[in-house]
Amino acid sequence: MINDMKDPRKTFGEAVVEAAEENGNVIVLSADSSSGSGLSDFSKKFPERHFEFGIMEQGIMGIASGLATTGKIPVFAAIAPFVTARPYEMFRNDLGYMNQNVKVVGRCVGLTYDQLGSTHHSIDDVAIIRTIPGVTILNPGDPVTIKKAVHAMIEHTGPCYLKIGSPKMPVIYPDNVEFKIGKGIVLTEGTDVVLIGTGTVLPKAVAAAKLLEEAGVSVRLIDMHTVKPIDRELVLSAAREIGRIVTVEEHYVAGGLGSIVAELCSEEYPAKMKMIGIGDFYASNGPYEELLDKYGLQPEKIKETVIRFLNQ
Amino acid sequence: METKEILKLESTALQIRRNILRLIKAGEAGHIGGALSSVEILTSLYFNILRTDPKNPGWKERDRFVLSAGHKCLVLYATLAEKGFFEKSILDTYGALDSKMPGHPNMHKLPGVETNTGALGHGLSIASGMALGFKIDKSSAKVFALMGDGELAEGSNWEAASAASMHKLDNLVVFVDRNRLQISGPTVEVMSYEPLDERWRAFGWGVRIIDGHNIETIIETVNQAPFEKGKPSVIIADTVKSKGISFAEARVDFHYWKSKPEEIELAERDFDNIEEQLKIKIKEAGI
Repeated sequence: MINDMKDPRKTFGEAVVEAAEENGNVIVLSADSSSGSGLSDFSKKFPERHFEFGIMEQGIMGIASGLATTGKIPVFAAIAPFVTARPYEMFRNDLGYMNQNVKVVGRCVGLTYDQLGSTHHSIDDVAIIRTIPGVTILNPGDPVTIKKAVHAMIEHTGPCYLKIGSPKMPVIYPDNVEFKIGKGIVLTEGTDVVLIGTGTVLPKAVAAAKLLEEAGVSVRLIDMHTVKPIDRELVLSAAREIGRIVTVEEHYVAGGLGSIVAELCSEEYPAKMKMIGIGDFYASNGPYEELLDKYGLQPEKIKETVIRFLNQ
Repeated sequence: METKEILKLESTALQIRRNILRLIKAGEAGHIGGALSSVEILTSLYFNILRTDPKNPGWKERDRFVLSAGHKCLVLYATLAEKGFFEKSILDTYGALDSKMPGHPNMHKLPGVETNTGALGHGLSIASGMALGFKIDKSSAKVFALMGDGELAEGSNWEAASAASMHKLDNLVVFVDRNRLQISGPTVEVMSYEPLDERWRAFGWGVRIIDGHNIETIIETVNQAPFEKGKPSVIIADTVKSKGISFAEARVDFHYWKSKPEEIELAERDFDNIEEQLKIKIKEAGI
């Protein structure tokens, strides 16, 4: 049901079980991380397809690569910085350069490990992983698209990085929403400004769009659930038709969705832009919703930023 | 093993050394030291041990070889060429723009190359994943890997060493090419790994220490693997860096060789001498 609140990790785990029922090559690798990734049910249902390695993310990346050479489809889920920043070279060489069919899942992305501080925040994962050629980056923003993203990445051949949050998220989409890798979803049509949201803060962008509509601003709202490859046509049509783009992401402004959109537009069709995200500093610690507010990612703050941007 | 078979393999090893020199001639430089120290290991693997098919490099049931120390790629290229995975003329492109033979191997460019290595400390994890995949499939295929001894300082190796042991990967055989030298000097002085055999045993591996230039010993040792039931196996192969080129043997400055034409000539003369000695051995054996 729309607006129901669901646990993203539990939802992810359910989808992996579904995918494993359909495809016997799906296996799960754990860095002491399966229970926290919603994969306890998988490990109970498919004990012979669940492999525990303990806390060795670098090793697991290589092991996943080797497994993929034998036709397995390894799913490796753990806390996001530990599957991106820590084993970056293994991601780049063993998965990217070798073009292996491995699915890496960073969970508790962005600031969702709120209190635990900057070692556990993952606000640079898109920036570092998107430099690896051939890696698909998925960042779904509601439980329905999380499930669809899991199935899509299993069906897709090649290395993928999927981002999953931690706090419960509202259902935005009906079950029959169409989800295609590389194709963003237009949630509302509008004429004054384009708001592009992704991942954990998509619901915030949805709420902000409503506030803006109430304030008389017509918003074209886009869910960019695939960060790489970016939906070029959707971005460029927004640039051509409206010319004012605001991106919203729980990530550093440097190197994330905003950067990707800006790189594309600056070469193909320059548009006025505002990138909402985190600046060049280590994020603070505290309650999640308060952190989002501190960094301008709550609906009211997004609305204010958009109005200021339009009045410039 | 029969003397005839051993001498044949020694002749192949010499030809692989000549192929390595051919690569160096083409590229005018390369990581020669570790390539020459592991010639007998690759000769034994590709010409006696591994189940491979050069005409069908993607054969699903093949044994795998992972060159973890990717800078030793010259010996891999030289061996694959000798085995017939591709035309030997490709050896002459080493160092050229878009060559199928980069300074560290690329599986997408050349048939027979299984992994993209070069950054050290990756190969053992990848090989372990392959071995685990074969276990899941109940396949009889085996996985072999070659590591350098300098490479052992990388921590990621020991993650893989734990994993291979924990998951009982007794279909995995790893060689450590212990030539005892790395760029900055003797390996145990740069970062000691001693006691190396005890270290591997502590990680749950079966261990053998052998002469890494004795083909008969290499093959007989591999045939005994797994050395302990349910455990992965490591063969610490004592070798001489740059083996076969007299002026470069056991010299740290030949880790990477920028060759001069006169040095190439001297190396060729060394190989001619090895060939003469082999001929004498063959004659003495009455073959």
